[in-house]
Amino acid sequence: MATYLEFIQQNEERDGVRFSWNVWPSSRLEATRMVVPLACLLTPLKERPDLPPVQYEPVLCSRPTCKAVLNPLCQVDYRAKLWACNFCFQRNQFPPAYGGISEVNQPAELMPQFSTIEYVIQEDDLQALKESLQMSLSLLPPDALVGLITFGRMVQVHELSCEGISKSYVFRGTKDLTAKQIQDMLGLTKPAMPMQQARPAQPQEHPFASSRFLQPVHKIDMNLTDLLGELQRDPWPVTQGKRPLRSTGVALSIAVGLLEGTFPNTGARIMLFTGGPPTQGPGMVVGDELKIPIRSWHDIEKDNARFMKKATKHYEMLANRTAANGHCIDIYACALDQTGLLEMKCCANLTGGYMVMGDSFNTSLFKQTFQRIFTKDFNGDFRMAFGATLDVKTSRELKIAGAIGPCVSLNVKGPCVSENELGVGGTSQWKICGLDPTSTLGIYFEVVNQHNTPIPQGGRGAIQFVTHYQHSSTQRRIRVTTIARNWADVQSQLRHIEAAFDQEAAAVLMARLGVFRAESEEGPDVLRWLDRQLIRLCQKFGQYNKEDPTSFRLSDSFSLYPQFMFHLRRSPFLQVFNNSPDESSYYRHHFARQDLTQSLIMIQPILYSYSFHGPPEPVLLDSSSILADRILLMDTFFQIVIYLGETIAQWRKAGYQDMPEYENFKHLLQAPLDDAQEILQARFPMPRYINTEHGGSQARFLLSKVNPSQTHNNLYAWGQETGAPILTDDVSLQVFMDHLKKLAVSSAC
Amino acid sequence: MAELYVKPGNKERGWNDPPQFSYGLQTQAGGPRRSLLTKRVAAPQDGSPRVPASETSPGPPPMGPPPPSSKAPRSPPVGSGPASGVEPTSFPVESEAVMEDVLRPLEQALEDCRGHTRVCDDISRRLALLQEQWAGGKLSIPVKKRMALLVQELSSHRWDAADDIHRSLMVDHVTEVSQWMVGVKRLIAEKRSLFSEEAANEEKSAATAEKNHTIPGFQQAS
Repeated sequence: MATYLEFIQQNEERDGVRFSWNVWPSSRLEATRMVVPLACLLTPLKERPDLPPVQYEPVLCSRPTCKAVLNPLCQVDYRAKLWACNFCFQRNQFPPAYGGISEVNQPAELMPQFSTIEYVIQEDDLQALKESLQMSLSLLPPDALVGLITFGRMVQVHELSCEGISKSYVFRGTKDLTAKQIQDMLGLTKPAMPMQQARPAQPQEHPFASSRFLQPVHKIDMNLTDLLGELQRDPWPVTQGKRPLRSTGVALSIAVGLLEGTFPNTGARIMLFTGGPPTQGPGMVVGDELKIPIRSWHDIEKDNARFMKKATKHYEMLANRTAANGHCIDIYACALDQTGLLEMKCCANLTGGYMVMGDSFNTSLFKQTFQRIFTKDFNGDFRMAFGATLDVKTSRELKIAGAIGPCVSLNVKGPCVSENELGVGGTSQWKICGLDPTSTLGIYFEVVNQHNTPIPQGGRGAIQFVTHYQHSSTQRRIRVTTIARNWADVQSQLRHIEAAFDQEAAAVLMARLGVFRAESEEGPDVLRWLDRQLIRLCQKFGQYNKEDPTSFRLSDSFSLYPQFMFHLRRSPFLQVFNNSPDESSYYRHHFARQDLTQSLIMIQPILYSYSFHGPPEPVLLDSSSILADRILLMDTFFQIVIYLGETIAQWRKAGYQDMPEYENFKHLLQAPLDDAQEILQARFPMPRYINTEHGGSQARFLLSKVNPSQTHNNLYAWGQETGAPILTDDVSLQVFMDHLKKLAVSSAC
Repeated sequence: MAELYVKPGNKERGWNDPPQFSYGLQTQAGGPRRSLLTKRVAAPQDGSPRVPASETSPGPPPMGPPPPSSKAPRSPPVGSGPASGVEPTSFPVESEAVMEDVLRPLEQALEDCRGHTRVCDDISRRLALLQEQWAGGKLSIPVKKRMALLVQELSSHRWDAADDIHRSLMVDHVTEVSQWMVGVKRLIAEKRSLFSEEAANEEKSAATAEKNHTIPGFQQAS
């Protein structure tokens, strides 16, 4: 540069900065003698049409008192991937995304010409959700109709059919509207046309009014992709100490009303994506003051949950309307705190919709669970069906007491309907608006034969299940299943009846009854009921001498049943302590619809052991199964836990798996990982994955599930130090069984 | 063709976030899988704790090395891939996909469709975005590779295969591709419908031509 004039001008253009002195006096004394202070004029937002913002977040110095941003003046070691802050001289590691940088491949912020650079701060979670929604457009069939409603403080129904400009109808989030009002405001009802005498009636060209809001994927995927990409956080500022305003109740109401007015009785899903609790309008679950936390079980017990009843009523009303229209509501709730699943659960439970709960939309748990909704079967059809009605008929010796599962009653009375209700009763028909190949209902019957009526020789009772539904290919289908079972006289054929007992099905059916009761009864009452049923069962079917507990035996077909009940009592379905109301609702939602195998896993988790002593084998869900030279794989349905025993962990730390002569150890470590992967690849919803070892903090997931046969109370009672003691005061299976036997053999009961 | 890999989950945002499976692995899983681990053990009826076969001796655990490979009691399990911490690309080293090889056929396809659909400008805009991102080095190697495969399938009129690749890219690399992939998707759909239209027209004209020649002895209607 010939003169400083050029230098000054270039710097102003690039950095928006003009200094009084461009060479700085090196001492304080000298600087004061220069009269004009060392100062600059800064234009922070100087226009730089040639400087596009970079789409990532700035890299900061890791020293908490510094936090300077990586810049061209920093020294960089490209090989070690380290940089030295030029302000505090801290050496910092580059984040993993910078793994590919080199002298010839520098990130923009290190290049001298980028002394001024602008970063775009992405809304991490919202960005992840937007991408998942854009991705889903590729997974939907091209002729599926889609619509978009966004909500925050206001609720916006987006018009999809317009080219160029994006338009939307905006509703206030505080005011609930009836279905008719919503349909009128969205222009979905034809206005009355004044008749004109002279003219012949012109055929009115009404474009299908709903097409403004609901369009086929193949037509609007590009527009919708852009629209989703442009979504931003609610522009209304959220003041310190407040929650953002979220009008979930009104948004859902509008969605239900929109579909009600446009496509009643056609398969449809309303998918609700929410990142926090409803804080405004009907259906609000908590106020906007952060200092008032959302209700806990303790609050509910003390009747201190202000908004709960009203909010639940709002969502129940919506859920019932939706089910009547044949649509289903899914809830995808991702947030670190509760989002109001307790109040909103009826939306998913009554309509057969899904409930997914995660920490953030930017997690594999949400992303993959959401992808799995669109999985196809071997025929290339989606594995979801809509608008099902289940009709149950029985032979005259039986009546229907009710059903428990993702359904609503159709209130169909008839000769098959019992007056004694178990679950959703008083009907022989139910509606399941959304279902998939694993959806399972529990259906309860009553035998109405009089006690002394003789049974015809070889007589059989029969039940017919008729399910009408809309297949994902839009074809309507009817599946009919007719079954029959032999009658038997209990007095003379008790052993026969015993042998035909399915303890697994019985456990799940009784568990569903228990969880159903838990929704309306006090927790301890439900446990007492469950215990009473178990004692009576043991009294009836156990072999024992009166008053002699040690003589008590159960036949093989009952041998697992008491264990199931023991674990059920400890399960999160009946023990709400240690879970939030939302978590309990989430667990119960999945329990009430899974098939037998998965439901059993939820009641009593599976535990498999891997060791050098033989092939992988199931082991007792007991603390005695936790041994130093074993790897355990536990599946609770909601979590997959891999636990390395103490010795295994030490061997792994020592690196034996990397030595060729110990290749079998490498295989041993890999075996549970492979089995876990098989489960993870297929399960809906995606479970959490915990890989831990002896002494690890995450080991608590295993320790809390196993039967605590050895606790700090009885460690030395058994005489052998096998297994790991659990620090708990919970009763163990042995103590439970002892009590059970005592009560079963006692003539007092 | 689609990649088969497993990435670890996002531990920063979700506690115990499960690993992420690629689209290829997920679609491979296919129909409902019978859970292989479903057996349980009954608790002993007499109430004593079950003494497991591998009882460790009382006292400090032996910290010797594990039993060496020679006496491996079980054959190594066949896993479908490591369950943690593996980088995505698992392909052998090949020459990188060339941008022109991908963009030229796409633009050709666009030209073929011009006049048949109103959205050509929109698609064209997105192809330009694809080109910009590719040239700017913003796309990862797996994405470029799969785009080259997609274009091959498109040129060979294998619409379903091309569609499947587009889906796999949207699922596995949504952050990189979401802005322009929907244009490619639309292009595949337009080419497909154009092709079947042409095929139908050809069939019609072939049928008419045949009709005029089938019956000997009859005068052709003039």
